[in-house]
Amino acid sequence: MKRRDFIVGAGTAAAALALTSRTAMAEAGRIDWYTSSDQNVLDFWTNVVQPKFQAANPGITINMVDGGDNAGLQAIAERALAALGSSADPQADIFEGFDARQPVGAIDKGLWVDVKAAGLSNYSKINPLALQLDGLPQNLPYRGSQVLLAYDTTKLAPADVPKTWEALVAWIKANPGQFIYNRPNKGGSGGNFVRRAIYEANGRDPSVFKVDNYSAEAGAKMLEPAWAMLQDLAPSLMDQGAYTSGNTQSIQLLGQGAVTMIPAWSDQTISAINQGALPETTGLVQLQDLGFPGGFSRLVIPSNGVNKEAALKLADFVLSEEIQSAVLTELGGFPGVSWDYVDAALREKFKDVIPASIPVFPGGDWEKAINEGWYRAVAPNVDPNS
Amino acid sequence: MTDAPAGIAAATSPAGDIVGSRNRWYLGLLLVAAPVLLVCWLIIYPILSAVVQTVWLPDGAGGHAFSLQTYAFFFSDGYSLANLWITLWTTFVCAVLLLVICLPIALYLRFSEGRLPAYVQALAIFPMFVPSIILSYAFIRVMGPNGMVDIILNAVHLPKIRSPYLTPWGPVIGLVWDHIPLTVLILLSGLGNVSNQSVEAARDVGAGRLTVLWHIILPRIGNSILVAASFAVLGIFSAFTIPYVLGPAAPEMMGPFMQRTFRELYDPTNAITQAVVSFGFCIVFGLFYVRSVARNQRT
Repeated sequence: MKRRDFIVGAGTAAAALALTSRTAMAEAGRIDWYTSSDQNVLDFWTNVVQPKFQAANPGITINMVDGGDNAGLQAIAERALAALGSSADPQADIFEGFDARQPVGAIDKGLWVDVKAAGLSNYSKINPLALQLDGLPQNLPYRGSQVLLAYDTTKLAPADVPKTWEALVAWIKANPGQFIYNRPNKGGSGGNFVRRAIYEANGRDPSVFKVDNYSAEAGAKMLEPAWAMLQDLAPSLMDQGAYTSGNTQSIQLLGQGAVTMIPAWSDQTISAINQGALPETTGLVQLQDLGFPGGFSRLVIPSNGVNKEAALKLADFVLSEEIQSAVLTELGGFPGVSWDYVDAALREKFKDVIPASIPVFPGGDWEKAINEGWYRAVAPNVDPNS
Repeated sequence: MTDAPAGIAAATSPAGDIVGSRNRWYLGLLLVAAPVLLVCWLIIYPILSAVVQTVWLPDGAGGHAFSLQTYAFFFSDGYSLANLWITLWTTFVCAVLLLVICLPIALYLRFSEGRLPAYVQALAIFPMFVPSIILSYAFIRVMGPNGMVDIILNAVHLPKIRSPYLTPWGPVIGLVWDHIPLTVLILLSGLGNVSNQSVEAARDVGAGRLTVLWHIILPRIGNSILVAASFAVLGIFSAFTIPYVLGPAAPEMMGPFMQRTFRELYDPTNAITQAVVSFGFCIVFGLFYVRSVARNQRT
């Protein structure tokens, strides 16, 4: 009987422990921070932002949680949305790499803080381009990234690098086997290369693609010329039409000297150069007629977080010159603020990759049509006329 | 606790033996009930629900009706059929290569003694501890263009090879390496059935090595070969990471194809149809395995 008592007692204790940990309240002064980004961004926050912020703001700490991916953050955001209007505690104070358009209806219900009206001292420094792309006062763009061309300067002199789409196509055809891009659904570098081809096939006008103007007829009319262009390119790619399965594999092939040029994310390439995965002789260039698409990552802040004021303080801190310069040097991204607000020496060093404009391709139905169409029309390397 | 005395009485009474054995029979069923229910809930039910979802489709008027159109699409779509074909090809080639590579290793490990076989065994089991994503990137380093193999060939003034990376041979090499441990272990356990005496007896009457292999060893491990082949086939048919990283963009194996259809084309019905088709092929090999296990238990 004693043993049974013990088991019952232990069970009760365990259940009580589980219950208390589930209902634990967010701690005052501890910002619950969630991210959907990759490890390099989490490392940047852990090694740079967190220590600097905590040193500048004694009494406030950051609890960093890796939400995995966008779906992971959406689950947390839905918890915050459900808690809205009740006294329940969402245990979330700030989201990194999220979009206030999610979950559906969150903006109308007032889940996200209007950062524009929140009176951040650094808000006016934000790059107008980033704000214009986004157009939502609840989203706070703080770092950017764009696809550009990374190439091996030992094989291709910077003076001879193609700077327009036409020159790029001519270069690829003149140097068969020296270029590769990844499958458009497996990473943004190849995905945005394909989207740049789609822009080229539609008069280089990003504004003709909108999130809500996809239809089967429009898709056929606007995408098929791009598939023809990419099919035409295939025999000149590595192995007469091979496509890597991700951004990292393309970088690995460039690093091994297997190809001379790849499309790559700016931040990933700069990180790779800093870490030695790519040699110092790697060059970067953006097309001048119309850049490859890219985008800005944002912070969003739920209005019902216990530490909302501290989270706003953190958002303001992230826009400071110190952190924005670190976005360039430590993370290899673009600053979210205008280039006038980063260190002048850095501005000079990175002048080649400073974007004058960043086209942003809409997601939704267009994305689905591109993922399906490319695989069926381009990937099999079958001549449509045969 | 109140029923304890009655239970003890039943067990000790002369008539209680019959009651007791009936009780045990009942308890046996209860014991298997938990795993059987779990299998029904987590495996059988999802399969049935998947099949129903692919044949009981919305008819456009708000209701549902029986329709085989997703299967008709799959089997009339050249792209889907090419994916199914490359999956069957990869599975077949891998299974044959695995047996060809692993049988000699298993025979060596079974019939030799000393320290060297211990090292060989450790080496053969090693792939089990390497996650397939790490294996894939290492493969690019070693066998990719300008990888280690090319560097070695270049050092001895030989021309570069055509790298298997991003061709159907990439996943074959990766999957074979990944499945060596399981195949070797299954074959090795089968070789445990071959007694040293029978081999020695055959040698005494003048049987050569091949004769011993063909007439003494292979008949005893036929079952293990079948089990090893079905395990390899089941694992390779549904492989994801290695074909995804190392294989060509198209045709793609069923694993990456299903994942892409589901997550990137937001098309669960067709993704489930692909899964049911894959399941149909896998169940054939599953039945081989079940039959051989059942036959083993009878003997």
